[in-house]
Amino acid sequence: MTLAAGVHFETYDHDQALIQTRPQWYWLIAFMIFLFTIPLFGGGKVLGFMNVVWITVIAVVGLQINVGYAGQINLGQSAFMGVGAYAAGALTFHFNLPIWITISGAGVSAALFGAVFGVAAVRVKGFYLALTTIAAQYVFSFAMLKLPKEWFGETEGLRLDPVSLLGFEFNTDVRMYYLFAIIGVLMIYGAWGLVRSRTGRAFVATRDNDNAADIIGIDVFYYKALAFFIGAFYAGVAGALWAYYVRYVMADMFTLWLSVWYLGMLIVGGMGSILGAIIGTVVIRLIQEFITYFGPWVTEFEIFSGVGGGVIFASMNMLLGGVIILFVIFEPRGLVHRWNIIKESYRIWPFPH
Amino acid sequence: MISLLSHVISGALTGLLFALISMGFIIIYRSARVFNFAQGEVLVAGGFLLWSFTQYFGLPVWLSLVLAIASSLVLGLLIERIVLRPLVGEELFALVMVTIGLLVFIRGLVLVIWGAEIHFVPPVFSLKGVKLGPLMLDRGLVYGGGLTIAMAALFSWFFNHTRMGMEMTAVAEDHQIALSLGLRVKRSIAAAWAISGVLCTLAAIIFVGGKGMTFLVGDIGMAALPVALLAGLESIGGLILAGLVVGVSMGVAEFFLDPIFEGGVAGVFPFAIMIIVLLIRPSGMFGWKTIERI
Repeated sequence: MTLAAGVHFETYDHDQALIQTRPQWYWLIAFMIFLFTIPLFGGGKVLGFMNVVWITVIAVVGLQINVGYAGQINLGQSAFMGVGAYAAGALTFHFNLPIWITISGAGVSAALFGAVFGVAAVRVKGFYLALTTIAAQYVFSFAMLKLPKEWFGETEGLRLDPVSLLGFEFNTDVRMYYLFAIIGVLMIYGAWGLVRSRTGRAFVATRDNDNAADIIGIDVFYYKALAFFIGAFYAGVAGALWAYYVRYVMADMFTLWLSVWYLGMLIVGGMGSILGAIIGTVVIRLIQEFITYFGPWVTEFEIFSGVGGGVIFASMNMLLGGVIILFVIFEPRGLVHRWNIIKESYRIWPFPH
Repeated sequence: MISLLSHVISGALTGLLFALISMGFIIIYRSARVFNFAQGEVLVAGGFLLWSFTQYFGLPVWLSLVLAIASSLVLGLLIERIVLRPLVGEELFALVMVTIGLLVFIRGLVLVIWGAEIHFVPPVFSLKGVKLGPLMLDRGLVYGGGLTIAMAALFSWFFNHTRMGMEMTAVAEDHQIALSLGLRVKRSIAAAWAISGVLCTLAAIIFVGGKGMTFLVGDIGMAALPVALLAGLESIGGLILAGLVVGVSMGVAEFFLDPIFEGGVAGVFPFAIMIIVLLIRPSGMFGWKTIERI
C-alpha cells in the first residue's frame, strides 16, 4: 500500500497501528458521529434499513473471516445464525436472562455448532466441505422442528417481548438501532484486529495452502475449527439481534437462500477484506431495497403492465445469481478492489502510478 | 411386514431416481472437475419445458419429449460456454460460487417465465400402479429405476470403452496434461454438460410426469447429493449401489423412525448419511483417491 507523500513512520508501533495518520482519525470520528446520529435525521424507512444492515453486516463479517480469510467454504451461515436466534430466544423466553448474557450465549452456542463442522473441514475440502455445510442447514431445520415443543415451539416458533437492559427497554427502532450500532462496531473492530493478528495470519496461510501451512508448523486442525468457531460466533450474535429485532424466531427464517445471499454479498464486496464484507452488504441491501421500492412502481407503466408483482421478486433471484456469476467471472476481487484503486490514485495524485 | 417391504422397495426406487440425477453431477465432475449445484434447477427447467411443449404449444407428447431433451442439451451447452468456460483453471471457490450463482439465477429465471403456480405435466406413461404381489408401486418410479440402470450401463461402457469417453476421463485426471497430449479439453467438458442436461430432463420426466410441479421440485437436486457422494464422485456404476443403499436405508428409517419423530425423517436422512460418509470416507465407495502435494 502506498502512503501519501510525507507520511513516514519512526516507530514500529506507529507502523503497525490500525489508524496511522491524523486525517484518518478525523475521518473515523466524523463517520462514527454520522453513524450514531442517523436516527436523528433518518426517517423510519432509513432506520429499518440500517437495522437490518447492521445485523447482516455482523453475519457477513463472520462469514468473511471463515470464508475470505480462512478459506473454508461455508454454506451454513444462516443455519448458524438460526442456532443463535433460537438460543437467544429460548434463554430470554424461558429464563428471562439479561441480554448481555443471552447475546453472548447465542454467539457461543452457534459457535459450538459451527465448530463441529470445522472439525469436518479437517477431513474434507472444497466441494465436499460445501456439501457438509449444506447438510448443516438441513440438520438445523429438522432439529428445530422436532425438538420438544416446550423448548423451541416447533412450527410455531418463539414469540418474544421487547428486551431491556438495566431498565432501558428496546422497544422502538431508534433504541434498537443504538443497540445494534454499538454491538456492530465492537464486532467489526474485533474482526479487524483478529485478521491482523497471529491468528489471522495463520488463517491466511491455511487458506493459501493448508499442506504448506501444516509443514511450517501451523496447527491446521485447530485453525480450521477456530475459523468456523469464530465465523459461527458472529452469526450467532447476528441471529440473537435478529430475534430481538423481529421478536419472533422460526426455523423458516433461516434458509439456505439466506446463506447464498450472504456469500453473494462477500463476492460483490470482495473476498479477504473486512471492508469488502461491509461494502458488499450495504450495496446488495441497497439493491434489494431499490427493487422492493421501485418494483411495484415499474408495473404501473403501460408497457410493463403485463408484469406481475411476483415477477419483480423473482427477478431479485435472477439479479443475485447474475451478480454472483458476473463478479466471479469479471471482478473476483470485488468492489473493495476498485475502492483501493481509487484510494491509491488519490494518494499519489498527480502521478499516474 | 408388507408395509416394511413396500417402504424398502419404494425407497430403493426413489434411490435409483436420485442416482439418475446424481449421474448428471458425476459426469460433469468427471470431466470438468466442477460440482454443479444447479443440477436441480436444470431438472426443473426440463420439466417446465416439457410442460410448455405439451400444454402451451399443444404438441404431441413424443415430440415434446424430443424437444425437451434437445433444449436441455442446448441449455447444458449454453451454461458451459457462457459461465464455466471463462473459469477454466480458476480456484475452487470461484467454481463453487459460480454454480451456486447459477442455481439462484436459473431459479429466478424459471419463476419469471413460468411463475410460482402449480403446473400439471401430462403423464408420459400410464399412471396405473405396477402390481408386484401384494404391493402397488408407482409406475413412473419403476420405469425410472429401469432407465437409471440402463443409463448407468450405457455410460459405464461409454467412459471405459469408447474413444470419446476415455478422452473425457483423461481430461478429468488433469486438464493441463490432457491438453498437452492433444486431447480436446473444451469439447470434452462441453459434451459432459450436454449429457448432464439431457439426464436432468430424463429425471424430470420420471419425477414430475403426470404430477403437478412448481419450482420447488429443484430441491431434489440437493437430496440427490448424498448418493453422488456415497458412490464417490467419479464412479458411474457405483451410483446404482449407492442409490440403492441410500434409498433402502431411507425407506427403513422412515418406517422405524417416522412414528418417533412424527414424520419428516425421509427429508433429512440422506443428509445424515452424507455427513457420515464425509467423516468416514470422503472419497465415497468407489471414488478416486488423490494424493495432495505442495
